[in-house]
Amino acid sequence: MSSAFSFYLTTLLVYLGVDILAVWSLNLQYGVAGIYNFAWIMFQAVGAYTAGVLTLGPDTGNGGFQQYILGVRLPEPLPVLLAGVVAGALALVVGIVALRRLRTDYQAMVMLVISVIALLVVENVTGLFNGPAGLSLIPQPYGSLPLSTLGYQWFYVALTAVTCLFVYLFVHRVTSSPLGRALRATRDNEDAAQALGKDVVRLRLFIFVMGGAIAGISGAVLILFIGAWSPGSWAYVETLVVLTAIIVGGTGNNFGVMLGALLVPVAFNEATRFIPQFGRPGLVDALQWIVIGGLALVFLWFWPRGIVPERRRRFPGGPLVAPTEMTGPSEVT
Amino acid sequence: MSASVEQACESAAPGGAILSVAGLRREFGGVWACTDATFDLRRGAITSLIGPNGAGKSTVVGIVGGAIAPSAGRIVFDGTDITAMSPHRRARAGLVRTYQLSSEFGRLTVLENLLVAAPGQRGERIRTLLYGKRYWRKQEAELLDQARILLDRFAMRHMEDEYAGNLSGGQKRLLEIMRALMCQPKLLLLDEPMAGVNPTLAQAIEGYLADLAAEGLTMLLVEHELGLVERLSDSVIVMAQGEVIATGSMPDLRRRPEVLNAYLAG
Repeated sequence: MSSAFSFYLTTLLVYLGVDILAVWSLNLQYGVAGIYNFAWIMFQAVGAYTAGVLTLGPDTGNGGFQQYILGVRLPEPLPVLLAGVVAGALALVVGIVALRRLRTDYQAMVMLVISVIALLVVENVTGLFNGPAGLSLIPQPYGSLPLSTLGYQWFYVALTAVTCLFVYLFVHRVTSSPLGRALRATRDNEDAAQALGKDVVRLRLFIFVMGGAIAGISGAVLILFIGAWSPGSWAYVETLVVLTAIIVGGTGNNFGVMLGALLVPVAFNEATRFIPQFGRPGLVDALQWIVIGGLALVFLWFWPRGIVPERRRRFPGGPLVAPTEMTGPSEVT
Repeated sequence: MSASVEQACESAAPGGAILSVAGLRREFGGVWACTDATFDLRRGAITSLIGPNGAGKSTVVGIVGGAIAPSAGRIVFDGTDITAMSPHRRARAGLVRTYQLSSEFGRLTVLENLLVAAPGQRGERIRTLLYGKRYWRKQEAELLDQARILLDRFAMRHMEDEYAGNLSGGQKRLLEIMRALMCQPKLLLLDEPMAGVNPTLAQAIEGYLADLAAEGLTMLLVEHELGLVERLSDSVIVMAQGEVIATGSMPDLRRRPEVLNAYLAG
């Protein structure tokens, strides 16, 4: 394996890890609890910025060419953990505004608007996270380790994998417990869940905050790897890539959405690199967005449950008669 | 109106009415769907709520269940004023409703639909994430037994692993009743439980309701089929044009001219 290929492969693996964290996060909110979080990318961004300013040190460093708030240098892994805390806290505030009184369609609208507002604020209030130029030259975590460039790449792959493992244990605990069942009931019929004594607002707020925290952690893992983050990284359409990965992989299934993360943001995006450029410059990139949108529509139309559908929960001692598979469009409502 | 509210509170004492509704009013954009609903429900009895379409029955059920806020009036359930209580707190207090339109959790199995309805589940608490499965496994096994007893009773055991969204209309009605029972209700509000059900299954549901009544479950039944109302109910409340116009037993009501004019003749 040539070192250039190893470098490419390790980079892809870190991206895959980040995308897996991303789909688990949004799957908790959308797939399990039925919250249309079109502001998802904002929570990843706030995690990335938080980890950035907690790693960079004072903004007088590097010749003072960047302006940002906080500016301290905390030891690892505190910036990543605090990225989760800050993104979770932001989710709590957004959740209190958007989830308490509004129904799903309106929630989706509010989320989209919040995402756009947040981007405009960060672009224009330059003192916050260095405006449109964004943060850069973020030192790599554990950079003092005596590792070659390639050795560090593999080390970061391992760090990402460990993060994924911890997050998976948490996500699995939620989805396999009666708590996950109550969330899925809320997703399927909010009024009926309430009429059976479920505190729908509290359940939704909880999962929204947890999903937000995981999104923040995914942002932190990404920014500490690539060393930079700017408003260009988190346009609202980026949320749709994660959503498409969930729809393609299998809404509500933790392994399904992992497959979606591999297929959509990683494999699909990488494949377009190998297409020869044609037409005017940037045309292939633009078409990529159209194709991702099309992919989501095709799956919603023909395979609404995705490649690996949500698992049917069976209990010991059940009947031996095989139940029928779920078909038809009614399941997507 | 305040006198009737006082009465309502007094009659909510143990042994009296389980639910007292006084002076309920509700306006929807200038239209009064309910102008004056005042009635008591006796503990351990089946009371039916009847009336022509648009009489305000569903509005009353919605207000009592907590989905619709009243413009005025007061509701006392089991000795507590619940007028401003949220729907999920009412359910936890034992006031459970079913819906006129099927409201199953479509992507959960039949068994999961029942399990999720059980109150006070340890596995739904946030600390379950710290302790893991051992924190809720035992309770879950008990609930599983309870749910399967219900499935056997309603002859739905063979369907337990089926997605609720795949059930027939009648099976969904059964599921809804079972799910409400899992919630351990003190009072069950049944909003047209026979709507869209074939005659054979309707007969079966009637049998189940009669059995539940014999076991002492208090029910409020909203129903159009008067034969069924007469067979099942201990007393009947008649609504027309947003207000309660008569209460009594069905044979008695059949002789009352105002009831005949408002409903039975039409």
